[in-house]
Amino acid sequence: MKNPGLANACAAMLRRDLTLAWRRRGDIAMPVLYALIVTMLFPFALGPEDSLLQRIAGGVILVTILLSMLLALDALFSSDIEDGSLEQLVLAPQPLALMLGMKILAHWITTALPLIVATPLLAAMLHLPAAVIPVLLLALLLATPLLSLLGAVLVALTAGTRRSGMLLALMLLPLCVPAVIFAAGAVAAAQQGLPWLAPIVWLAAALVLAVALAPLACAAALRIALDA
Amino acid sequence: MTVADPATLLLEARALSFHRQDEPVFAPLSFQLKSGELALVEGDNGSGKTTLLRILAGLLHVGDGELFWRGQPMHRDTCAGDVLFLGHQLGLKTDLSPRENLHVAAGLHGRHPEKTSATVLADIGLCGYEDEPVRRLSAGQKKRAALARLLLLPATLWLLDEPYANLDRVGIAMVNRLLEQHTAEGGAALVTSHGSVSFHGGEPRHIRMHA
Repeated sequence: MKNPGLANACAAMLRRDLTLAWRRRGDIAMPVLYALIVTMLFPFALGPEDSLLQRIAGGVILVTILLSMLLALDALFSSDIEDGSLEQLVLAPQPLALMLGMKILAHWITTALPLIVATPLLAAMLHLPAAVIPVLLLALLLATPLLSLLGAVLVALTAGTRRSGMLLALMLLPLCVPAVIFAAGAVAAAQQGLPWLAPIVWLAAALVLAVALAPLACAAALRIALDA
Repeated sequence: MTVADPATLLLEARALSFHRQDEPVFAPLSFQLKSGELALVEGDNGSGKTTLLRILAGLLHVGDGELFWRGQPMHRDTCAGDVLFLGHQLGLKTDLSPRENLHVAAGLHGRHPEKTSATVLADIGLCGYEDEPVRRLSAGQKKRAALARLLLLPATLWLLDEPYANLDRVGIAMVNRLLEQHTAEGGAALVTSHGSVSFHGGEPRHIRMHA
């Protein structure tokens, strides 16, 4: 008997989810289009006044990206539960938390990364100064994985309940408040020429905590979901 | 895989039962399964056959009674990788081909040293469909794609829930042949089925379920 080894198992899991996402690449574009359209609505609603748009740009982009990520979060585990892949994953001789971590990583790569790539475009639409964009990108690189991890725990907890999408939004959005505060704080500080490192470091600390704990929580929640 | 001593006791259940909302799903069961043995789980619809297999696979917790794997209390860590479960949901990603599905399974569970996904898919009768997305296959072919896992992965105990469903006559004969080979190599299997099972490798053990 030959155990495939942890690295092989992680690679197999990551490759599987990325291949699946690539086969349905139309779905990857949806959150990006949603974010573009929502951002476009703000100048229409508030008027094309530069100073106003600049002042709210950071916050608007953060909230828009958060909501766009929420669109795709629902499907994180549901298809695996429906077709029995999750049962096979639970029974594999591999640490379940690590395998789920790989799934979350694949999900972040396919939903959050395209949004981050589109962020300079969103920033330009709201006249955010170019000098602030690197800070915004850094904040998003730390805040979006945090949201993916928190979201994954809630998706795992609501797995098996019907119409869990709305419930998920109601549960996740309050938990996102700290991430939004720190990310928006960093962007606002950079816009005013103040030091912006402290909120970024807070985000990084929260991300480290979530990376360590969220996959474990997901694994426990999904084991309970199957044990019913 | 090392061929086990034919008399090795693999699985033992002592007064195993399971409750759902304080209602017993099946009456306490006691049975043993040695290497080289095949057990047929029989019972009417709703008698708890699938529940029994899910308990043995480790998906459901043991209600009352005890379960031993090779003499040790059965737990995720003591039997990980040794048990292969094939349920009603086949665990196939429909956007991937049978070959890709097998690669994922082998990446997670490991593989038989002398087998490759190509030979296994040919053996299982999916020649020419290796790279077709699973969603385009017929129900019987999907079943075969899932059964290919039995050949590729190194497991001692097979837990098969209705392995004959959706298969044609050739497919049913093939499942019987797989079971014979597996038990001849020192493996064991628990099979639930409504259909007739013609097993040539000795008299199968019968486990009768009562609600």
